[in-house]
Amino acid sequence: MSLTKAKAATRRAFGERVVELGKIHPDFVVFESDLGKSSQSNLFGDAFPNRYFNMGIAELNTMAAAAGMAAGGRTAFVASYSVFLTMRALEAVRSFVCYPKLNVKLYASHGGLTAAIDGVSHQGTEDIAFMTTLPNMKVLVPADSAAARAACDLALETPGPVFVRLMRDPLYEIYEPGEKFVIGGSKVVRPGADITIASYGDILFQSLMAADDLAKKGIEAEVLDLYSLKPVDTAAVLASVRKTGALLVAENHQARNGLGYELAVCCLKNCPVPFDNLGLQDTFAESGDYGLIIDKYGFSAAKIAEAAERLLRERRTEEIHSPALGG
Amino acid sequence: MNTALSNQRAAELAAIAHQIRFHVIDMVYKAQSGHISPGLGSADIMASLFFEVLRIDPQNPKWADRDRFVLSKGHSCPVLYTSLALRGFFPVAELDTLRKLGSRLQGHPIAGYLPGIEAASGSLGMGASQAVGMALEGRMLGAKYDIWALLGDGETNEGLIWETAMAAAKYKLGNLVFIVDRNGLQTDGACDTVMPTEPLDKKFEAFNWKVFKIDGHNIPEIVATMQAAREYREGPVCIIAKTTKGKGVRFMENTTEWHAKAPNTEQYQRALVELEESGV
Ligand SMILES: Cc1ncc(C[n+]2csc(CCOP(=O)(O)OP(=O)(O)O)c2C)c(N)n1
Ligand SMILES: [Mg+2]
Repeated sequence: MSLTKAKAATRRAFGERVVELGKIHPDFVVFESDLGKSSQSNLFGDAFPNRYFNMGIAELNTMAAAAGMAAGGRTAFVASYSVFLTMRALEAVRSFVCYPKLNVKLYASHGGLTAAIDGVSHQGTEDIAFMTTLPNMKVLVPADSAAARAACDLALETPGPVFVRLMRDPLYEIYEPGEKFVIGGSKVVRPGADITIASYGDILFQSLMAADDLAKKGIEAEVLDLYSLKPVDTAAVLASVRKTGALLVAENHQARNGLGYELAVCCLKNCPVPFDNLGLQDTFAESGDYGLIIDKYGFSAAKIAEAAERLLRERRTEEIHSPALGG
Repeated sequence: MNTALSNQRAAELAAIAHQIRFHVIDMVYKAQSGHISPGLGSADIMASLFFEVLRIDPQNPKWADRDRFVLSKGHSCPVLYTSLALRGFFPVAELDTLRKLGSRLQGHPIAGYLPGIEAASGSLGMGASQAVGMALEGRMLGAKYDIWALLGDGETNEGLIWETAMAAAKYKLGNLVFIVDRNGLQTDGACDTVMPTEPLDKKFEAFNWKVFKIDGHNIPEIVATMQAAREYREGPVCIIAKTTKGKGVRFMENTTEWHAKAPNTEQYQRALVELEESGV
C-alpha cells in the first residue's frame, strides 16, 4: 500500500461524516465544550443547530449531561480534545456512561502527541490506557480519512460507548474510500516474514516508513494496523507473530498500559516471542514540532527501524545460546 | 497605602505594556504557534502587576515572602513569559524559543522550568484552584504575601471556578485576588452565545467575594484597584477587568480568529505597524 499526503486531518473527516450521518439518522445529538472549531464538530452545529449543544468550557458537565440525554437510549456524540474527554470527564465516562452502557460516543481530537506543539496539558498521552481499561468501552483509532469515516459509522451503529481518537494535523492517506473496517478488526498493511510491527493511528505511517528502510537491509517487516484497540484483533496478531517470530509495538502514547502492554500479555499467554514496545517511557513529553518530538521520544520511523533491528539481533543471539527455544 | 500613580509612572507602565505586546506578537510569529490575542488584551494588566503591584524579586525568584501569580488562563502564556523576561527573570532572547524542542517556554506554563512560574496551567480552571491552595498555605503560615490569579471569562464556565469561589469565601482568603480578563470572547465565539455568564459580578458577590469592575486598559485604574484589593483583608477579591481581546492590533481586536493563530510574515508586519499606530 502506498501513502499519499493527506489534505485534511482525521478530525475533519470524522466531523464531515458526523454531518452526513446526521442527515440519514435524525435522532442522534452532538455535545461539545467550546472546542467546536478545533474538533470540527461545529460542522454538525451549522447543519443541525437544534441537535448541537455547546456546553461551554465545562467538560465534566458536558459528559454527564450527554449521559442524561443518552439515558433513554438516544445516541450522543461528545467532542473535545482527547486529554479533556478522557481525564476531566473520566468519572462521568466510567460510572455514568460505561457502567450503564449508554450510547455515548467520545469524539476525541488531538490524540496523543498530535498536539505536540501545545505542550503536556494538551497532549492525550494516557487516553488509550484510560479508555481501554473501562469495561463496556470500545476504542477505535483511525489512521486516515477513510478509516475515520468508517470509525464514525462504527461508533454510531455499535451499541454502547465508543471512543474514537483523532489527530490534529493532516498526515497521510493509505486506504481507498469505502474500505471496510469492523469492530475488533485489523489490517495487514504490509506483509513480511521477519518481524511484526503493530501500531495504530499516526504511528502506522512511521511503521510503514520504518519497514521501507528495513527492506533495504533485507529485513521484511509485516506491518499491522490495529485500528480497533478494544476489542483488539489478537487472532491477527498471533497469526502474524507465529509467522515472523518477533513483535514490535510502536504507539503515540505512554509505553505503559497501551497497545504494547495489551499485546505483550496476549503473546505471553499464547505465543511468547522476542518483544519490544515503543512509546513514552514513563515520562511526559514537551512542546515542539511533531516530527522532532516523536523522534526524541522514540517512536519515529528511524527509532522503529532501530528497535526492529535490535530485536532481531537479540533473537539471533538467543538462538545461538539456546537453540531449543528457537523458532 | 493607596498611592495614586504619577502621570510619569503611568506612562512608563504603558510603555512596558507596549513592549509586552510587541514581544507577544513577535514570539508567536517566530514559533508559528501560540495565542496572541488573549495576551494583547491582558498586557496592561500584566504590566501593572509585574512592574508595579507584585512584590517580587527577579534576582531571588524563590524569595519566601514574594507574591505569587498564577496564570490560570494558561494559554495566554506568551504574555506571562514576556512579562517575566522584561522584568528580568530570564533573558529576553529566550522568548524566541517558545514552543521549540528543549525550550523552557512550554506551550502552556509549567512550574519549575522557568523562574517566576508558580504553577502549571493550561487546563482551564485548574490554576484558580491552585491559587486557592497557595492562599490557604499563606494564611496557615500567617505569611505576608498575596496570591494573584488571572482568569479568562470563558474559563469561568468551568464548575471548578465556582467550587474554588466557595472554598475561598469559606476560608475568608483575604490574601487572594482573582482578575477576570473580561474580553467577552472564548474559543467558539462570544461568551454570551457560548455560555452566558452575566451577571458575573453578582455571581462572585453571591459567593461572598468583594468585587471591583474596571477598565482593563486604564493603567491608573488597574493599579489603584489592585492596591485596594490588596488592602481589603476580609475575604477574597475579584477584579472584573473589561478588556478588548487583541488590543493594539486592529485586525486582531474583538474577534476569535486570532485566539490561537500564528501570523504569516505579511500579517506579522502589518500587526507591528498597527501596534505602533495604536498608541497602546
Ligand atoms: C479544560 C480546558 N478545556 C478547553 C481548553 C481549550 N481552550 C483553550 S483557551 C479556550 C478559551 C478560553 O477563553 P477565555 O477563558 O475567555 O480566555 P481568553 O478569551 O482570555 O483567551 C479554550 C476552550 C482548555 N485549555 N482547557
Ligand atoms: Mg475571554
